[in-house]
Amino acid sequence: MSKLDPRIHEVLDGELPLERLPAELRALVLRLEHAAGLLRAGPAPASVAGRVLAALHRPEPSRGRRVLQWLTERHVITIAMRPVWSLALAAVLAAVVLVPDHGSAPLLGAQEGIARFVGHFPGARSVDVVGPFTDWHTGVVPLRDDDNDGVWSAVVVLPAGTHEYMFVVDGERWVADPLAGRYVSDGFGRQNALLIVRPVGR
Amino acid sequence: MSGFADAPDADVIARILAGDGDAFGILVRRHEPGLLRFATRMLGSPDAAADAVAEALIRAYRHLASLDDPTRFRTWLYRIVANRCKSHLGRRSAQRVSLEEAAPVPDPHDGEAELERAEQLGLVERALRTLSPEKREAFLLKHVEGLSYEEMAALTGERVPTLKMRVHRAREALLEALKEHR
Repeated sequence: MSKLDPRIHEVLDGELPLERLPAELRALVLRLEHAAGLLRAGPAPASVAGRVLAALHRPEPSRGRRVLQWLTERHVITIAMRPVWSLALAAVLAAVVLVPDHGSAPLLGAQEGIARFVGHFPGARSVDVVGPFTDWHTGVVPLRDDDNDGVWSAVVVLPAGTHEYMFVVDGERWVADPLAGRYVSDGFGRQNALLIVRPVGR
Repeated sequence: MSGFADAPDADVIARILAGDGDAFGILVRRHEPGLLRFATRMLGSPDAAADAVAEALIRAYRHLASLDDPTRFRTWLYRIVANRCKSHLGRRSAQRVSLEEAAPVPDPHDGEAELERAEQLGLVERALRTLSPEKREAFLLKHVEGLSYEEMAALTGERVPTLKMRVHRAREALLEALKEHR
């Protein structure tokens, strides 16, 4: 890719008047501005306002409908237990999947893995983990602290890949996992924690 | 709601947060043309762009209370749409997307000038799609949506000098691609 004369960028960034450029450079500026003008004026999809407002006005489904929906949709499986047992379970599940067993179907899909969420929230009344896998709703993957030591945890089966997630403490305080190590902007001025789930079969 | 249509974003947001959810329609209509244009150019597909913008607007409404500075609502919306576009492109990266996908189809009833314009737009869109998503985003935000580098920094989380460099590289790549697609 050939580098442009820096004066072209200065003009396009409003730092230099166009008239200060020699004619051949001016042509390149005009070419870029013409391209941008075409993109500005080109056709765009029809309005989505109706669709958006309809979605916002849609009433919450009834309890019965939610139950039916829950029964017919795919779900994250949640097993909440003491941290030490959750580790043991993760090991057992991994062993079951890793040891070939030609006589039965695998416990997890080839593209699924086990994720363990742990957070230290002393005094919290509830802790949930939310992410795209819960549609960012609480109540889907609650963490447990059965021995009241402030360490909350849950083990879940998730599709292999990268997952954004947050902890929701007491149903209202959103906390990025301080131990996650990786974060990504959530688009709202905060950081979501990132979790990489590897397929258990790998 | 009439009489409120020209109110600044921050005033409309205050009204929504006070319980007038319908006022969100003002913000949708005010900002969706730019968002749809940006998403269409980013994704090269009007249908995918409409989905991305609709999802982003719904998400914005649901998280409106978490917006720290309502005067920066527009930048915030672009950030949500940009994130959705990037994740859409990420999901689609394994598939080869035809460079012709976004090319406008000229209507045979159009005049000669319109046909030529549609042809030129097709050329520019094909050239644009050869840029990496980051460069494409930088060029579109700066030159098509008219954002300042400071607004782009707030939107992307990158520093201004980084964005300036990215825009410069995007201009160079676009001119190069325009030469090749001529």
